[in-house]
Order: sequence, then C-alpha cells, then structure tokens
Amino acid sequence: MKLNDIPKHNIYKVPEGYFDSLPMRVMEQTAAKGAGASAAPRFSSFWQPVRLVLAPLVLLLVFVGVFLFSNDVVQQQPQPEYVALGTLPEAEIVDYLDSYARLETSDFDEVSLSDQELTAEFLNISSEAAEEELEYYQLNKLIY
Amino acid sequence: MEDIEILEKFAIAESRNLAFNQLIRKYQQKVYWHIRKMVIDHDDADDLTQEVFIKVWKNLDGFRKDAQLYTWLYRIATNECLTFLSNKKKKFFLPINDVAAELSEKLDTSPDISGDEIQLKLQKALLRLPDKQRLVFNMKYYDELKYEEISEILGTSVGALKASYHLAVKKIEEFLKHD
Repeated sequence: MKLNDIPKHNIYKVPEGYFDSLPMRVMEQTAAKGAGASAAPRFSSFWQPVRLVLAPLVLLLVFVGVFLFSNDVVQQQPQPEYVALGTLPEAEIVDYLDSYARLETSDFDEVSLSDQELTAEFLNISSEAAEEELEYYQLNKLIY
Repeated sequence: MEDIEILEKFAIAESRNLAFNQLIRKYQQKVYWHIRKMVIDHDDADDLTQEVFIKVWKNLDGFRKDAQLYTWLYRIATNECLTFLSNKKKKFFLPINDVAAELSEKLDTSPDISGDEIQLKLQKALLRLPDKQRLVFNMKYYDELKYEEISEILGTSVGALKASYHLAVKKIEEFLKHD
C-alpha cells in the first residue's frame, strides 16, 4: 500500500469549544505571572551558570580548608621534649625510676648484662651469698 | 491581522494584551495540532500549547522582526514536544519502543481519537519513527510546509530533510504492507 492511497484525515478530536477558551486560559496565566515575567528569565539565566560554577567552587574551598586546618592542627600539637639521658645526673634518673617507672619482664630483654651480673646488680649480693640463701630453703618441701 | 501589526501592537503597553490575544487566536490551532500529532494525548497537548504561548509572551520582545513569526512559533512548539517526549522516556526508564507502545495504546483507547482502521494504522506506523523524523513527516505531509520552512524551524539542511522524509515514507509503507 502506498501512502498516497490513504486519504489525509485528522483523526484527533478536541473537546467542544476548546479553541474558544484557550486564548483566555493562556491570558489568565500570563496575567498571573505578572508584569515581572520578562525580568524573571534574565534573573534565572544569570543565576543558572553562576550556580553551576559556584557549587564545585564551594566544594573545592571546603576541601582545601579542611586539608589546611588538619595540617595546622598536626603541626601545632606539642612535641615531647627529648633530653639526652647521658646529660642527666645519675641520682635524678634513679629518683625518676623509683617514682614513676614500673618495670616489666620485657624491659630486661634489651639489657646486655649476663644472668650473673644481673643477680649481682639487682639483688645487691654476691653469688656465693645467694647460693647459701637458696640452700637454706628446701624448695621441694615448700607448699604453694 | 498581519504579523507585523500584531508585533507593533504588542510593543505598546496599552495594546499589548489585545495583540497577544490576537496572536493566540491566529496560531493556536497550528500550534496545538503540531503538538497533538506528536504527543497524541489531548491533555498533554493542551498543557504544552499553553506553555508555548507563555514562552512566546515572555520572549516576544526579543523576537527578530525579519524572521517569520509562525516558524518561530513552530520552533518553540517543536522544542517543547521533543523535551516532553525526552522527559517521558527518562521518567519511566523506558526505551523508545515502550513510549511508542504507550502512545500507540492511546490511539486505541482514547475517546478523543476516531478514525478508520487504515488511519489508525498510519498513526501507529508514525509512532515507529524516531521523534525528529516524525516531526519532519508531520510538517511536510500534514502541515504541507516547504522544506525551506522546515529547515528554518529545525535548523537542518534541506537535503537532509528531503532524505529524512523519503526514508520516513518508505518505513511507513513497509509497515503498512507487513503489519
């Protein structure tokens, strides 16, 4: 079938009196929008591109601000004051250790002294005296 | 009333409303039918026609007097139609064929449509065309506009429009032959 064989006919209908009332309905809308109608598009056409640019700019500024602020905070944190241990008098170190230090077993891992030297150093007795002391106790008879 | 006279009256605040009323009365049917053939549904066509004339009201001050008023109106109406159909596709996340199917169903069910079988079949064939090709076909076949005028409305070359129209006719005849 060819297109020319079909008669041109408008199959669509409109409600009765539609075209009589349409101009009035449009005029009512233009009146409702007021005389400022022509100013509104200019305003929106100005703000539309500005908003598009402003949104990522604000986001960028926030990121930069957060980055700079966090760096500043890190830099401003008080750094612990390190003092060379060798420059302190021995009495001061001993006082400090007596008052604050709480030694754990693991603290001795790095101590380079031999077991015997440790005994002598920490118990403050000779190894012979220590052996005598141990012989005095019969360990297998101790009740835990 | 001639277009130039309408435009002159519109430029004067006292006769602005009267001139605009006359403009609507002169072109409302052309604009409405152009839109209706694209969106099928009367309520949609009514909304879009009003929207077109509100845009005309807002922008008529900036209209170039050397251009044809009706081609400018057609262009606004065409853009409204394409935007409406594009939004419809996005809104329902449907491919083109489903929107065409929805519009095709309206042809069968709407009380505002009456025609014999072959007329309905022609309208269904038209819905198979891409929107822009359907616009070209409608303007050439129903509105009997010249290619030069369609070219001014759509901003497409006359050669491309001729090719588009002939391709549309072939597709329609193919559809009428097989379905």
